[in-house]
Amino acid sequence: MTTAPIVSVRDLHKIYGKAGQKQYEALKGINFDVQPGEFVGIMGASGSGKTTLLNILATLDSPTSGDVEINQQSLTSLKGNQIADFRAKQVGFIFQDFNLLENLTNYENIALPLSLQNVARKKIQPEVMRVAKQLDIEAILEKYPTEISGGQKQRIAAARALVAHPAILFGDEPTGALDSNSARDLLEMLTSVNSEQQVPVLLVTHDPFSASYCQRILFIKDGKIGQELKRAGQTRQQFYQAILDALGTFD
Amino acid sequence: MLTKLAFTGVKSRLKDYVVLFFGLVISSAIFYMFEALATNQSFIKANAQVTGASFIFQFGAILLTIITLVYIFYANSFLMSMRRHDYGLFMMLGAKQSKIGQLILVETTVIGTIASVVGAIVGCGLTGSIGALLMQHMLGEKLHHFSAVYGPAVVATIGLYIGLFLVAGVINRLALTKTPVLQLLKGDSQPNRPTLKPVSQILQVVFGLSFLVVGYYAMSHIKQLNLAAIPIALVTIVLGTYFLFNAIFVWLVVLLKRTNWATRGLGNFTLSQLSFRIRNYTKILSIVSILFALALGAITVGIGFNRQIKTMATANSAYSAALVDPSTKTNHLINKLNLATKATYSQKETKSTVYYNAGEFGQHPFQATGLGETTVFDSAKKSKLGTPKYIKLTVNQLKQNTDKLSFLQSGSQRIKAVKVVSASQFESVKGQPHQLTLFRVKDLKASGKLMKQIVKSAGITSYDNLPGSYGLFVMGTALFGGLEFMGFFLGIAFLAMLASCLMFKILSGAASDQRRYEMLNKIGTRPQILRRSIMNEILVLFALPALVGVVHVLFGLQMFKVMMIDPYNQLWLPFTIFFVLYMIYYVITVLLYEHIVLPKLKIDK
Ligand SMILES: Nc1ncnc2c1ncn2[C@@H]1O[C@H](COP(=O)(O)OP(=O)(O)O)[C@@H](O)[C@H]1O
Ligand SMILES: [Mg+2]
Repeated sequence: MTTAPIVSVRDLHKIYGKAGQKQYEALKGINFDVQPGEFVGIMGASGSGKTTLLNILATLDSPTSGDVEINQQSLTSLKGNQIADFRAKQVGFIFQDFNLLENLTNYENIALPLSLQNVARKKIQPEVMRVAKQLDIEAILEKYPTEISGGQKQRIAAARALVAHPAILFGDEPTGALDSNSARDLLEMLTSVNSEQQVPVLLVTHDPFSASYCQRILFIKDGKIGQELKRAGQTRQQFYQAILDALGTFD
Repeated sequence: MLTKLAFTGVKSRLKDYVVLFFGLVISSAIFYMFEALATNQSFIKANAQVTGASFIFQFGAILLTIITLVYIFYANSFLMSMRRHDYGLFMMLGAKQSKIGQLILVETTVIGTIASVVGAIVGCGLTGSIGALLMQHMLGEKLHHFSAVYGPAVVATIGLYIGLFLVAGVINRLALTKTPVLQLLKGDSQPNRPTLKPVSQILQVVFGLSFLVVGYYAMSHIKQLNLAAIPIALVTIVLGTYFLFNAIFVWLVVLLKRTNWATRGLGNFTLSQLSFRIRNYTKILSIVSILFALALGAITVGIGFNRQIKTMATANSAYSAALVDPSTKTNHLINKLNLATKATYSQKETKSTVYYNAGEFGQHPFQATGLGETTVFDSAKKSKLGTPKYIKLTVNQLKQNTDKLSFLQSGSQRIKAVKVVSASQFESVKGQPHQLTLFRVKDLKASGKLMKQIVKSAGITSYDNLPGSYGLFVMGTALFGGLEFMGFFLGIAFLAMLASCLMFKILSGAASDQRRYEMLNKIGTRPQILRRSIMNEILVLFALPALVGVVHVLFGLQMFKVMMIDPYNQLWLPFTIFFVLYMIYYVITVLLYEHIVLPKLKIDK
């Protein structure tokens, strides 16, 4: 493939703590690319730096050094409002704890990214209905987040992440707070969104089951990418086994 | 161990505690200052002539106590909102409820005690400086037994605050130990679906309006209802305000949500934030609007009284002063004044009568106010508090209204009859000849300094012996000055406390809002849009009670028609002072709220 990558990470470092104080290097030189339409997983144990990496990719945090390009836009060149706008327009983010606003209805939650871009009321409605239909949440749009189950909440969150047509969808352990059935539903939904709409997905997880839905997995350990695993035509079951094997040797 | 944990919890939120503590110190200092002045014997005695003054003082003290109560309640809920999460965590870690209860009680009382003691000290300073200065200004030199440190007031302040905080501590303890741990950790996240219930809402509007009408009616008919008007008005207006807020607030939010504005930016979020708290806020908004009205009313009436003294005095006589046989030195001083008119008339004084020469009045007509009219004021002028209408009397008119002249006689002449006779008759009267000098200055207040010198040089020791508007003005100022001070002071104290109540109420919600703003930031909301949303939300919460409060004041001033010429005169002055102060509180609240709520932007280098 010769198309430009959607995500390109070069020699990324992240050191927590101010100079002179107690410092901790969470990322020690990360390099990888995500190609258009890919479903990539990043796996690692707790504390290995997954959230740190994803937060930097989503402009929620800044790297100590190194470069990140998303959709051929360098994140380090963004300033002030551009950062917030980039987040609103280019990335969709699904969090482990849903991050829904409980004082808005589900519909309003999904519509929020469009409202923030001052999209006209008339245009917002069809967009919301489009993602709602796709994610099968039309029946719960008028409810509040506290009135629905965890799995449904994560669907609403996914709808909100997708409504503004992002260049890429990030998920930070999106199944972490879900029971196994809801987790499976969500992963299947992500897979179909990925394959039908060609939205690239970058999923961060420590759970091999979730990872088995990906096409390619990067293993992160102590702030470095250690190993890469490709699904390459295997069934999900086979891939799951391969991940477990890899984890055994990786540790 | 737990104590240590609690202490680190306090340390991590030191800034918020400083705000709370500062507010408490200010409030208790104000309370002390008020108590010290209101219960100060010398002050009370100096104002003993004022009918109803002591009543007003007691009334003020009670109102201040009530608002202090409300204030402490909200300050305390702010304190709790900061600690909920910590306490929840301690409990989850297995701390015993009794131990937590003890912690709460200790923390609350320690803060209350320190704040009240510091407040009393600050209050002594305030009383000694600003308080003394103001009183000196208002009452002249009558302030003999004045002391900034007044034992009973110290006891009252510290006693009230510690007492209230103990009560608050016990309530906190009960409330917190009864709340499930999970809820402590999560904060309240139940949505408050804003629904329209037309029937009940229309009923509430009808009830609310009827209550207000009754209250307003009571205030404007205080003459017939006497003192009963005040409690009737208070109760009905409180109820009316509450019903109206309850009905209209929800309705307003629902309607606004349907507009295009709601789908722009964070409009919807802001509205939801408001509706999220409707039930919580209707109560405090009603309270605040009432307090707002009381405070603004107090300032307005206070300022109005002071302005009225001058007007009443000016209206009373066409002349500022009347001097018999002023010396050349005195005359010299008089000529230095900014004079509107000056005249000298010859007198002949006998045992029972003072004679005047009609010819002189023909040449220099005598001036008077309010001759045979219901109002002494120039009806052509819009404001009833304008300058009075001065009429030049013909000799005949003067002969029919000799009281206008006898009013200007003092000393031995005071009770003697007045006769205005022809020049030839005047010649033939045998009596002591005198010269009566009458003059009017353009502005009583501005001429104060020279007038004092004139009074001194004329050898007048008591203003009773100085006929004319200036003497009335000086005595009136001494009499009513206390009222102005009182109104102004009460107004500011009320404002400080009510705005702090609102501030703490809003800030109490900040801790649980933090997450929401963090989420908004994560999905890509521009920081300035977050800020605008905060400003709008808080503006609504500040503006609503202010609007209602202003309406209350406009109607409430009806009460003072009995005592004042025109309570509505120059309303802009107290309103402006008040709004400036209120806006300062608004800005402080917004800044503090942003400080608590806005995510520290990580990419912001
Ligand atoms: N704000 C922070 N300050 C200091 N250290 C942090 C901060 N956030 C994360 N870390 C540390 O960085 C490491 C990686 O954290 P994180 O990216 O959250 O891991 P993961 O998501 O893989 O569990 C951890 O050791 C964590 O303690
Ligand atoms: Mg993580």
